[in-house]
Amino acid sequence: MDLLEYQVKEWFGKMGIPVLPSQRIDHPTDLKHLKISYPIVLKSQVHASDREKAGGVRIVETTIDAIAAAQSIFNLSIWGELPEVLLAEAKYDALEKLYLAVVLDTALCRPVLLGSREPNSDGESWGDKMQYVVVEKEFSPFYARRLVLKMGIQGTLMQSISDVVEKMYQLFIQADLDLVEINPLAINAHGQVMALNGKVKVNERAINRHPEIAKIAVKVAGRQHRNHKNNYMNSVLGSWDSLEMLGKIGILSYGAGSLLATLDLVTKAGGEPGVCLNLRHSFLADITPTTFCQRLEKGLNILTTNKIMQVILINFVGTVPQVDQIPEVIARFMLPHQQESKDSKTKHDAYLPRLVVRLGGAEFNHTRKYLAGLKISHESLIVVENLDIAVEEATRLAQLPGLKK
Amino acid sequence: MNLTLDSKVIIQGFSEFISPTHIAQMKAYGTNLLAAVNPGFSGQKIHALPVFDLVEEVVIKFGKIDITLIGVHPYQVLDAALEAIAANIRQIIIISAGVPPLDMVRLFREAESREILVVGPNSSGIIVPGKILLGTQPQEFYAPGGVGIVSRSSTLTYEVAWELTKAGLGQSISVGIGSDAVVGSSFLQWLQILDEDDATEAIVLVGQPGGGSEEAAAQYIAEAIDKPVIAYVAGRYANSTKHMSETRTSLATIVGRSANFGTAESKLLAFQAAGVPVAERPSEIPELLRIRV
Repeated sequence: MDLLEYQVKEWFGKMGIPVLPSQRIDHPTDLKHLKISYPIVLKSQVHASDREKAGGVRIVETTIDAIAAAQSIFNLSIWGELPEVLLAEAKYDALEKLYLAVVLDTALCRPVLLGSREPNSDGESWGDKMQYVVVEKEFSPFYARRLVLKMGIQGTLMQSISDVVEKMYQLFIQADLDLVEINPLAINAHGQVMALNGKVKVNERAINRHPEIAKIAVKVAGRQHRNHKNNYMNSVLGSWDSLEMLGKIGILSYGAGSLLATLDLVTKAGGEPGVCLNLRHSFLADITPTTFCQRLEKGLNILTTNKIMQVILINFVGTVPQVDQIPEVIARFMLPHQQESKDSKTKHDAYLPRLVVRLGGAEFNHTRKYLAGLKISHESLIVVENLDIAVEEATRLAQLPGLKK
Repeated sequence: MNLTLDSKVIIQGFSEFISPTHIAQMKAYGTNLLAAVNPGFSGQKIHALPVFDLVEEVVIKFGKIDITLIGVHPYQVLDAALEAIAANIRQIIIISAGVPPLDMVRLFREAESREILVVGPNSSGIIVPGKILLGTQPQEFYAPGGVGIVSRSSTLTYEVAWELTKAGLGQSISVGIGSDAVVGSSFLQWLQILDEDDATEAIVLVGQPGGGSEEAAAQYIAEAIDKPVIAYVAGRYANSTKHMSETRTSLATIVGRSANFGTAESKLLAFQAAGVPVAERPSEIPELLRIRV
């Protein structure tokens, strides 16, 4: 989960990382009560990294100009995202600008400190100029000094920059981050440093053990929900356990490998995978613990809400939690749709995906038997044990005309 | 890995990741599962296992413990593993999924300095068919034989085993090393174990997108493994840009890795370059094995 700049700077401020005086602007008229002095920089609070090019950052000298600029920034959509908040910030005269980051490298299983004299990430050769230090053992400030010295910076400036890196690392650990970045860190004529812009990615697995961050996650999910009214999925996607592809066949699995293997098989069989969800973990927007069957139910509903999905392929093999409750969940999902389809000419655009359920192994014997006994019309529910056959069936059903009620 | 029929095993915690069925299955398989640790429930029996508050109490009662299976809530995994290490348990299998990765970094630092084996998190555990079962792998899909399986994905571990068993190919040992972004024991460690294991005649390696462990494995196989190896990598048709584990390794290019680092494509290319046959689907693996053996 990515935070917005103003949230990042609040965190930086608390950690003692130098940030400019700033003020959050919820409405253009807030600028009448500005506590910082002109000239100021007005910044659109969106996630896109190229907001400056898109016109989301403006320098203004007077209140009148500021209000006009704020109005236009509030109405400027950048990569489909409208800001809900702007940040008004003092202007800073930078002599030099740097890039600093702490990131978790999942390949090395260690945090890595990154630094470059070039804050601009556009160039192809950017990576060549980047210095890095792997934090092999317990962190100690020498790791930060090692990075800054590798960047070719010495003396008191080395001290003050490594001090910033140390605080970034503390924030990284305290808040369970995947990434914290200062881009750029500005240095003025007096050798003072200032974080002009920053980025924070919170690890999604850890969100729920930080109540403050969990609150932000709920807001983010709600916001995505509002911005994509027709597409509820956006509030759960973004989690690393889901994929949003454009096809008609939605996939639910227990385990990432199983999900990806099913997706591959569908593609190989000539089918087009759509939204794919891994039910092993909670969804991004779930801040209270969920059970497997709750996730199954929610997954089915998410896929049904998406009008493109014509077939839902469920792939469970071997063992899943709450196996005895699965029949109920599937029945609850299928039966209301079945009844509605009989007596509803009224539901204008109602829609029913067909279900292919692959259940592999003896633990599912009861579920298989139960589903076979359900009075459900032909070809809206198919239960099989073999994965390849399940994929064939799902692909075949996706080519049939959609089941309109 | 130090694993015998007498290895003393405990379970720490009961979450959704370890069910009563799994525990019954392990006991039925003959695994020497002695006790469970579940703070606040000492003196009780859960799923027919005596329960203790602390790992050290189990050690007092039963002597040195060889292996612990950790199934606590993901946020308690670090604590449970540190407790196991403090009680001198040297082999830790973490079944729980979704452990915050920085907790794992702390655990790895500790475990590596003491040469403790950590399998997982998000691991389905280890099975030696016909002999011992440690974890959540469904034993019904396995039969004793000569194929070793090492897999990042839990479910695909036994999906593949089932295909082999249906084709009449039994397994020597099968391990799910864990599907989370950061895991303890690596493909390399297990390839080495399987290569040295007399019962293992051929190896199946199952990978997925994220990280660089398949690439490292491919290189190691080309250099050091004489036994036939077949690979399968899930996720080659997933649009990787949407997959979070890719953006998490976006620093790849910075530290001199190729731009497609972490993708299924990069892993497939690595296996091709190493001369390792790659199956298109789990059900194709038995056929490829027969050609090589």
